[in-house]
Amino acid sequence: MSSRRSRTRQSSTTSRISDDQINDLVSKLQQLLPEIRNSRSDKVSASKVLQETCNYIRSLHREVDDLSERLSELLENTDSTQASIIRSLLSQ
Amino acid sequence: MSSSQQPISINPTYLKNQFARRFVRALNNLKKRKGSAHDNQMYRRSGRVKIAAYTAMASVVGSRRAWSRAVLSKIKNRPRNKELLRSNRKRAEHRIMSNLHHRHHAKVSIKRRNPNHIRDEVYFNPFKYSGQESKLRKLVPGAGSMDSWCLVDETADYIKCLAAQVDVMQTLVDLYTAT
Repeated sequence: MSSRRSRTRQSSTTSRISDDQINDLVSKLQQLLPEIRNSRSDKVSASKVLQETCNYIRSLHREVDDLSERLSELLENTDSTQASIIRSLLSQ
Repeated sequence: MSSSQQPISINPTYLKNQFARRFVRALNNLKKRKGSAHDNQMYRRSGRVKIAAYTAMASVVGSRRAWSRAVLSKIKNRPRNKELLRSNRKRAEHRIMSNLHHRHHAKVSIKRRNPNHIRDEVYFNPFKYSGQESKLRKLVPGAGSMDSWCLVDETADYIKCLAAQVDVMQTLVDLYTAT
């Protein structure tokens, strides 16, 4: 929504959403980001939070890629049964 | 934001358990259809494992979220993946039915919080000059057309689910490695 139209309209109207709500929104995301979770929320800009969010999602995607590769290799060479895997998972 | 305004999100332990069950089932199906271990086959298999993981997580979440709906419909539209989806469909359908009620409530709460939320989007965008929002939209499935409020909400849920997914996949790798 970074189109020119939205910017020009924004300048001509008053926002109905308070600063508090904006801060809530941003700090909600911030809590989920390991890199900046512990920073004070007033020290981190909305733009920084979004940037870190993108980085974090990318790193999670990369981890899924790597783990998929590892799993496909392991799948090829293992005989473990579904039951034992699930059992040990659920007992954790 | 008060808790009454938060859309319902799945308990993390339940999320991980459900994901693990579906994912392991899908892995076993992949294993059953064992071909020869050529290098290129291996490469394709790792792709299938990845798709199986995203599918399993999206079907745990079901229709409750825009991102999971987007993932599921994307997978549905790729004929080669239909098989994967079929093993998950029964449970997903059950989930969809049981979530219809919740979803209705979630929609209502969004409307109540901000009755003109689509119109407001034109006026309000806390990230408008950051240039980061469009990058985020490309990373979160189905985020293309939603307003900023929904985007942040969906992103938060997506991150939680992805982190849980990575966690379980890592646990599985450790378990398979140990056996």
